[in-house]
Amino acid sequence: MAFRDDVRRIKAIVWKDLTTERRSKAGFNSVASLGVTILVLFGLALGPDGQALRDAAAGALWLAVLFAGVLAFNRSYQVELEGGALEALLLYPGSRWAIFAGKLIANLIFVLLMLVIVVAVGIVLFQVRIPAQWPTLLGIMALGVVGIVVLGTFYAAMSSRSRAREVLLPLLLYPMLIPVLLASMEATKAFLGGDLLNASGAWIQMLALFDVIFLVATFLAFEYVIEV
Amino acid sequence: MGSQLENGGISYVVASYVITWVVLGVMLVRLLGAARRAKAEYDQAAKGEFRT
Amino acid sequence: MSPATPSQFGPPKPAPVWLGWGAFLFFLFTQVYAVATSPADAMMGHLQKMMYVHVPAAWVTFAAFGVVLVASLHFLWKEDERADLLAASAAEVGSLFCGLTLVLGMLWGRPTWGVWWSWDARLTSTLVLFLIFVGYLSLRSFVEDPHRRGQWSAAVGILGAINVPIVWMSVRWWRTLHQIQSNPRGLSPEYLRGLLLNLAAFTLLTIWFIWRRYEAARYERAAEHAAQAAALGDNNG
Repeated sequence: MAFRDDVRRIKAIVWKDLTTERRSKAGFNSVASLGVTILVLFGLALGPDGQALRDAAAGALWLAVLFAGVLAFNRSYQVELEGGALEALLLYPGSRWAIFAGKLIANLIFVLLMLVIVVAVGIVLFQVRIPAQWPTLLGIMALGVVGIVVLGTFYAAMSSRSRAREVLLPLLLYPMLIPVLLASMEATKAFLGGDLLNASGAWIQMLALFDVIFLVATFLAFEYVIEV
Repeated sequence: MGSQLENGGISYVVASYVITWVVLGVMLVRLLGAARRAKAEYDQAAKGEFRT
Repeated sequence: MSPATPSQFGPPKPAPVWLGWGAFLFFLFTQVYAVATSPADAMMGHLQKMMYVHVPAAWVTFAAFGVVLVASLHFLWKEDERADLLAASAAEVGSLFCGLTLVLGMLWGRPTWGVWWSWDARLTSTLVLFLIFVGYLSLRSFVEDPHRRGQWSAAVGILGAINVPIVWMSVRWWRTLHQIQSNPRGLSPEYLRGLLLNLAAFTLLTIWFIWRRYEAARYERAAEHAAQAAALGDNNG
């Protein structure tokens, strides 16, 4: 019974967040544009040699997604804070983790949509040759994004309500994301390099493990973070 | 590899010890001061409480 | 906003000054003792002597972070504000030793490997630990409300503690896939006594540092409580 209420609550939060985004559009468009811009800058830093670009493509793609995604995480709480909606949300009876789950799913959809654009542009700009087993690449991308969004949503719950939120979120988040990013980049790199599921498979397993660890840890800790 | 260095890399050893001693010594002195200052502040506040 | 009432507490039990100076003198003695008694190593020459500062600094760094972890868990469990102050004190002292460990590691790496920095698991995870300490301390400085600051920094400290071994593991993996990790360290028994003595001295010094820092933090909070109580008394009267 209670669980069904939680699910309803999660759905409501996801729906509300995505509707807000869809109505304004400006948020998504500018974050995605920023991701593309970062890719262009990486291309200028690493190019123009084609092989050098291909070697660095995996790292550049993930960093572009990370740098643009960070803006989305703070935004997702900021909208609530401006209207005083977060307090209202907290006053409703029900589990706190449902708020986290709702925010998480909304951010996940947001960042995944952005990822599609950034990766599509990145494949062109970095002259990446797509291997025949491209569905695996989608799996790596999805796992990596889950790791980034889980930690990003968690830390943004704190940073968005503190002074100096622009500095604090990356400062807290980036060191925490090192394992997830390293695994994502290495899996992508190995995969694009054509060593079909030799090194890549091991990295994908590690990535999935990290996702589970951080998912459990943040769900347990969120109660304390949102409470005050 | 160390034996190829002049004096067995003695300057690196000296540097590491100097840095450690200075850092820890400064920390010692700073903490002595910090706790003393905090205590003075507390005594002041506690006195203010008694006055009311 | 939150109904939580901060636990009222008076002045702390002071860390004795003689313990601080005593620990420092003991530390100087163990350093001199270790340097004087250890023969030059066949492989590393005098560089071996850096072990007596580098290894203890690394050890107390991780011990201090362990204190942060335990105190943070205790704070979330019991809502005892003193645990939060202890965690913060340990984090400050730990970050100092972490920075020291990194600098000493570089001083050792340069003559040994020919580079100041190498991306191996131990160095990288120590650096990440330092970054987490920095994030933890700046979070504390950016949040005013004590209860909120306590809960948030406890969460950051616990997640950071989970993260460090994961970083170590993943960097190790990363390295083994790319190149073989050379690890030229080994310990012969003739160096062991000096090392153990220095480990003890560093530990004592760290205990005193954390205690003293904690004492200062306790006084600061107690002063705030006293001021609060005085203000409330005025309102009622």
